Amino acid sequence: MKRNLFVLLSLLVIASVLTACGGAPATATEAPPVVTEPPTEEPATEEPTEAATEAPATEAPSTYEGLLVEAPDCEYGGEIRSIEAVDEFTVKFNLCVPDPAFPSKIAFSSFAIQPQEHLEATEGRPLENPIGTGPYMVESWERGNQLVFTRFDDYWGEPALNQTLVFRWSTESAQRLLELQSGTVDAIDNPGPDDFETIEADENLQLIPREALSIFYIGFNNNPTAEGFDNSTNPLANEQVRQAIAMGIDRSRIVDNFYPPGSAVASHFTPCSIPNGCVGEEWYEFDVEAAQALLAEAGYPDGFETVINYRDVVRGYLPDPNVVAQDIQAQLQENLNITANIEVMESGAFLDAADSGQLTGIHLLGWGADYPDQTNFLGYHFGAGSSDQFGDKFDDIVEAIEAGAQLASDDERAPHYEAANNAIKQHVPMIPVAWGGSGVAYKAAVEGAHASPLGNESFAVTGIPGQDTFVWMQNAEPISLYCADETDGESLRACEQVTQSLLGYEIGGTAVEPALAESYEPNEDLTEWTFHLRQGVLFHDGSTLDANDVVTSLSVQWDAAHPLHTGNTGGFTYWSGLFGPFLNAPPQ
Amino acid sequence: MSQEVQVIQSLDAEGLSVQSVSLWNITWHRLLRRKSAIVGMIILGIMVFIALTAQWLAPYSPTRSMLDVDGYPVRPEKRKSPCIHAFGCPQDQPQHIMGLDGNARDEFSRILYGARLSLMVGLLTVSFAIVIGTVLGALGGYFGGWIDNTIMRVMDVLLAFPSLLLAIAIVTVLGPGLQNALLAIGIVSIPAYARVVRASVLSVREMEYVSATRALGGDALQILFRRILPNALTPLIVQGTLGIATAILDAAALSFLGLGAQPPTPEWGAMLGAERNQVFTAPHLVFLPGIAIALTVLSFNLLGDGLRDALDPRLAHVS
Repeated sequence: MKRNLFVLLSLLVIASVLTACGGAPATATEAPPVVTEPPTEEPATEEPTEAATEAPATEAPSTYEGLLVEAPDCEYGGEIRSIEAVDEFTVKFNLCVPDPAFPSKIAFSSFAIQPQEHLEATEGRPLENPIGTGPYMVESWERGNQLVFTRFDDYWGEPALNQTLVFRWSTESAQRLLELQSGTVDAIDNPGPDDFETIEADENLQLIPREALSIFYIGFNNNPTAEGFDNSTNPLANEQVRQAIAMGIDRSRIVDNFYPPGSAVASHFTPCSIPNGCVGEEWYEFDVEAAQALLAEAGYPDGFETVINYRDVVRGYLPDPNVVAQDIQAQLQENLNITANIEVMESGAFLDAADSGQLTGIHLLGWGADYPDQTNFLGYHFGAGSSDQFGDKFDDIVEAIEAGAQLASDDERAPHYEAANNAIKQHVPMIPVAWGGSGVAYKAAVEGAHASPLGNESFAVTGIPGQDTFVWMQNAEPISLYCADETDGESLRACEQVTQSLLGYEIGGTAVEPALAESYEPNEDLTEWTFHLRQGVLFHDGSTLDANDVVTSLSVQWDAAHPLHTGNTGGFTYWSGLFGPFLNAPPQ
Repeated sequence: MSQEVQVIQSLDAEGLSVQSVSLWNITWHRLLRRKSAIVGMIILGIMVFIALTAQWLAPYSPTRSMLDVDGYPVRPEKRKSPCIHAFGCPQDQPQHIMGLDGNARDEFSRILYGARLSLMVGLLTVSFAIVIGTVLGALGGYFGGWIDNTIMRVMDVLLAFPSLLLAIAIVTVLGPGLQNALLAIGIVSIPAYARVVRASVLSVREMEYVSATRALGGDALQILFRRILPNALTPLIVQGTLGIATAILDAAALSFLGLGAQPPTPEWGAMLGAERNQVFTAPHLVFLPGIAIALTVLSFNLLGDGLRDALDPRLAHVS
């Protein structure tokens, strides 16, 4: 009896110890990760909150109560001055600065329109059940398995070819190819570089190369925000060290050996097919001796120890992450005696850490074009609104980029982007390595097969005659389907089947074309843009698109104090990347 | 009376060692009569030889990429299939008998160095687990009561988790890396040894010679470590040999998942994991490390089985 009691007691003790150990991290994760949560009681900056009221526009002629969200002035630093529903089918944007790229930006899928009521009902987090106007609507999402869409029969445009669209994913390129060969999927993204020949030789398959509108780079953070990190001993904070690494890495060795056909060594950050992409001086030549001399001059003749962070995720810009990372590791060791320990991170955690500036060593990341403009490349990464990924910003880079972004013609913008590229070459916030070509492989029977340089293939136009279901296999599962607050291409592609923005991009291309807005016109100095909505567009829930849906969908992203400014993590990175700081942003 | 004391004293001085030598002799002879055990020993012997002499056997450095070797007559390609001059590979091409891996490193050299790593992993983790497990099991078995209860319930908790999952959890907390992987595998293997030792101690504890030592005033630790444990050694050796195989497999699994050895370390599991996508385009990079793992694990399993039979007096008549 006593013995049993004792056993029971000891089990209880162990159980409580285990719960105590297990409980600690659980409570830690309960803390909201949202950093930009609006202050509920006391607005951080009182003035803008008061001014940014949602008042019915007075000039609306009919009974329609159009929303108006506006900043009191342009002091807050962002690009947008106001968003206004002029009438039921007209939306007007007032900008603080001229922005010739505005149509390209507003067409991006992060700025898709959802019904105002739906955003309210989901408290700003329609993470798994977005309601859009696109050719497909979400039917079910079995996390970890597949995402199923069905055709939206009341779609305003050409109806989708397939009754059902299925998204599946596998991080393994061999498995993707195997599934395609065995016929369980109809198309796969990013075949492995070694598999290009196999696919081309297979008469049951077709390979569509994707234009290299992407950049793979080796990033440095000159002042990481990681807790307890002492930046005074950080060799990467030293510009000479970064320049030495830039010279000491043989980039053509990486591209020649590890990239598929269609890729090129990057002479600049932005690919040349983007207007003003590769203006200015070309990147450093590979020169080991000069690099070693520079490293010695910087005070590290014997090298140093650092880490290489990356995510083991295949993207068009990085077809074989582990191998490329190990080659860079080997080159750093061999050429510069820099010992770099590889630390692979989980994709989401890696992106979060990169964006918040917490990566202390070298990180490997890339970028695929969202829209073909320098603001999406230089502006997003190094402009005024860019994240802390590369640490402290360089004034000369920021100024050149912001000056270029406000001019309308490519010729006028050229000198500014040239200056920006030259300044980037001098400061080396990152080393541009490759403009990575990639591809999409389809079954030969698929009609409408295409590869989008922006990575947003539309499966409303692809299909196999006589087949109801189209199965697409990509690299990874979408993170969420509320793409206002996602940056991952795998999520964006899924969103793009469901939701639409005011404008869109042509299928398989980069030209901007009308979507939910039939037409738009700017004023003369490009600070006021008026969009005329398509009439009679239905959402998947049966409601009709009107101007207030547009104002709400966009202002919840813009206004950090908006009650619906919640999202998945609350980062809304694309908004701040493209349009600068948030309205009512909490003080840093 | 004085004669008895003398006998015990002489046993104390040399009796045990004399007896154990003869036991090992018997075991060794029984072991040699088992073909499977001999095969195991031969494979293991080769592996140990490779591990000890890797730096002389390997034609290249295991971490050196052929891409930066000057004077290479033909531009080296990553994931090149094996080139063996004796089998008709052109003489102007450098010989890589197992081909090149994804980073254009010599696969043969990496496999050779991998043997060193895998054997080290197996021996270190099992030694660690045996030391801790023996102490815990012996204490529990000898003293019984609440000590036994506490220790064995903790062991039960550890056993309740699938070992690889628990190892993954431990590595996740400690951070990926070979050392942490070793520690994790060591920790998850402890319960097996603790149980084996405890069971032996329980059965030996009540034997007359132990009672005799106790009656003669031997203290608890002396009885435990000098009288009881040597007699509990046999099952431990068997368990340990088989455990090395499991440990090597677990370490390879952790490295395959990216939680064990970090690049560019030539660890078999990590090599397999790195090239898993090339199973159709460059199968040698997947199969060769896999075969190396399989052979090593097999050798320990065969040897362990042989040892178990050889050490079991009940099977003496069989052999």
